Amino acid sequence: MATMVMKRLDKATMIAFGCSILLIAIGAIAEPNFISSDYLLQQLQTASFLGIIATGVMLVILLGHIDLSIPWTISIGGMMATAATGFFGETLGPFLAIPFGLACGAAVGLVNGLGVAYLRAPAMIFTLGMNAVAQGLMVFHTGGFAPQDRGLPIMRELATGRLIPGVPNPLLIWIVVGAATIFILTRTTLGRRIYAIGNKERAVYLSGVDTRRVLLICFMISGACAAAGGILLAGWANRSYQAMGDPYLLPTIAAIVLGGTNVLGGRGSYIGTVAGVILITLLQSILSVIQPQLFFAELGFRVPAEVFRQIVFGVVIISMLLLYGRERLQR
Amino acid sequence: MTVGTAPLLRMEAITKRYGGVRALEDVRFECDRGKIHALLGENGAGKSTLIKILAGVVQPDSGQITLDGQPISFNSPAAANAAGIACIFQELSLLPDLSVADNIAITRPPMRFGLIDQGAQRRLAEEALARVGGEDIHPLAPVGDLPLSRRQMVEIAKALARTPKILILDEATSALTAADVTKVFRMLKQLKADGMAIIYISHRMHEIAELADDCTVFRNGRYVETFAAGTKSDDAIVEMMIGREYSSVFPPLPEKKSGGPSMLSLKGLSWAGQLNDINLDLKAGEVVGLGGLDGQGQRQLLLALFGTLIGVTGTIEINGKAVKMSNPGRAKSEEIGMALIPEDRKNEGLMLPMSVRDNLSFASIEGFSRFGIVDRKAEAVAIDDMIKLLNIRVGDIDGPVASLSGGNQQKVVIAKWLMTKPRIILLNDPTRGIDVGTKQELYELLRRLAEGGAAILFYSTDYDELIGCCDRVLVFYNGAVVRTLEGAALTEHNLIASAHNLPTSTKAGAAQVFATEAAS
Repeated sequence: MATMVMKRLDKATMIAFGCSILLIAIGAIAEPNFISSDYLLQQLQTASFLGIIATGVMLVILLGHIDLSIPWTISIGGMMATAATGFFGETLGPFLAIPFGLACGAAVGLVNGLGVAYLRAPAMIFTLGMNAVAQGLMVFHTGGFAPQDRGLPIMRELATGRLIPGVPNPLLIWIVVGAATIFILTRTTLGRRIYAIGNKERAVYLSGVDTRRVLLICFMISGACAAAGGILLAGWANRSYQAMGDPYLLPTIAAIVLGGTNVLGGRGSYIGTVAGVILITLLQSILSVIQPQLFFAELGFRVPAEVFRQIVFGVVIISMLLLYGRERLQR
Repeated sequence: MTVGTAPLLRMEAITKRYGGVRALEDVRFECDRGKIHALLGENGAGKSTLIKILAGVVQPDSGQITLDGQPISFNSPAAANAAGIACIFQELSLLPDLSVADNIAITRPPMRFGLIDQGAQRRLAEEALARVGGEDIHPLAPVGDLPLSRRQMVEIAKALARTPKILILDEATSALTAADVTKVFRMLKQLKADGMAIIYISHRMHEIAELADDCTVFRNGRYVETFAAGTKSDDAIVEMMIGREYSSVFPPLPEKKSGGPSMLSLKGLSWAGQLNDINLDLKAGEVVGLGGLDGQGQRQLLLALFGTLIGVTGTIEINGKAVKMSNPGRAKSEEIGMALIPEDRKNEGLMLPMSVRDNLSFASIEGFSRFGIVDRKAEAVAIDDMIKLLNIRVGDIDGPVASLSGGNQQKVVIAKWLMTKPRIILLNDPTRGIDVGTKQELYELLRRLAEGGAAILFYSTDYDELIGCCDRVLVFYNGAVVRTLEGAALTEHNLIASAHNLPTSTKAGAAQVFATEAAS
């Protein structure tokens, strides 16, 4: 059994988990509270938001495409869910809020899927364009009238409550979403087709598979996952706001790539993405706890913490890409 | 040949191998100023390899080349160009987004102050175009906007703009209109009169008869003979191009069964000028070959049947019922039951990094699934059966399919489709690049499938295969079926003659009776 598990974990996943443990160790030296179960559980809860968002994007990346409309799809999810009572009234609103938010996210994914699969537009440009369109729509939404932006009780409960004692609800949702994704990827025809399209779309098409439909489904899942993340974030912060998804694009893609998913598609495991998400979350947390920018400030480089974090992310992604690219060349 | 008049180009003892495959073995070739020298041979005879060596695209393993009596060797196309050798390939070498003038002058554009002199470049292009009779082409038009025949004219103009000593045309006229061919021929004769040496490769015998002064025949990577044009009959030339030994690797053909309803019936199938009015009746238990030279529409026919081409006209009937083939998913559906073994297994047949298991069950996975969830036990059982049936040698069934040998990879592609239990099987040159043993297994498999009631359409570039495996062969020329050969008329001689659109041999005597000319 143990060897089975070891066999399933590829190198990148092990590295990501290893780095996570290393980060916790470094954090523990700086701040002993780091290894408390409270802190770690809190980290897992924070990771859940990123994990749910990354789930959908991972499917799209496995196909060999990318979804850059994530930031504003998150905002759409959060803002549409909180605005639902304004659209549907006080009685229906609370029931429809979450389905409506998810549907709006899936709708963005639908347009992305139609553009990439049926119009054959490059995903990078098309989804980036959709991000701008989504932004415009949300600015219009807030500009025309004063929308309801408070989180509903049910959203607060989902984001902050604990249905099972000791397990934060977002983590529970991530576990359910993750288990479903693992099932899809390993046990279903859809999963086989996702990997196959990422490897050689032409061969898949010639095997009699409607590749466009697979693309469409995955982009819709990606949109819905981003919206789900937005709804949880709105519940967490107890309000939705424009640009609430902006800090998530880079961490999402970074987590997936760090987890060993091939950015060109066809290869990667969900466990790897979990490892990547946890690594990114810990990295963010530790950068804000031990504040290495203060060290650089002493050397004369004064950079704000947020800027420093961005630079570290970028450098980590580039390093990992180089690492994987080289590994491939050697083979 | 007297001393002092050594030929312009002499190639001696040229050998070239690609891995274990011998492309050229101890070949010689000569050509001289003011002569058009035709190079003849079947597909794979080594003509293209010889041309690539001359053009500096590949280097020979051994042998000498002398130009003007000086030994030379080219390590790049640029070096060959500099030595005065220009090639016109059948695959166009133009950049579609650049203008005609840019393309013509691309290797050595006229410069002024370190920048390209646009005016001079345009004049150069106009002169070059005028020389080949392509005055109607605007030098500033983007090449991508031109139709194929105009592009080919630009290609010829580009080669001439380098004022070569030796001009090589490899199937350069196959894309041209009849009017253009006349112009190009006039130009070639003029160039010949001006003292240029021209090497001409074509599968069109009448072109060679009209143009060539000398002919050299290659067969199977070896030099056969050089003779003056007009001294041999077409029949004798075809005879020279054949000559491989027949091997007994083919299973015996069964007695011809008569009647039976046709499973697949085509009426007037046409597509984009590359398929012209194809008619066909394919019955259960039949193996029908598609013959002819490479690129005459055989692949397009298979792709059209499999629903990958848009704009196909004519009717396709399956079991007497007209159907519309809209996509490969439709073609493999229960109702139609079609399978296509593609020619390019690495790009069209397999997902190389994925496991043997995933590849094998990929086309038939719906059969092992309920509500999209794969029944992995049923899948494993079916895969095991198929591996045994086809005798596929797999080390690790969960290892990547890329780790298998070429022959076993091809078996995986075929097994993947047999798992869908197809009733109509289309094969697109399935034995290319696989070893003889596997080939033999495939031939036997084809027969077994046919006996089991499948209808098989088999395209091959190997004439032996067509003769050994097929009940009858449709010979393609220019996108149309020019002849159907069966029974005693199905000989290599007749196949090659038909492929060149020549009348079949009278030597075959009674066989002529079986060769039915397609109505045109």
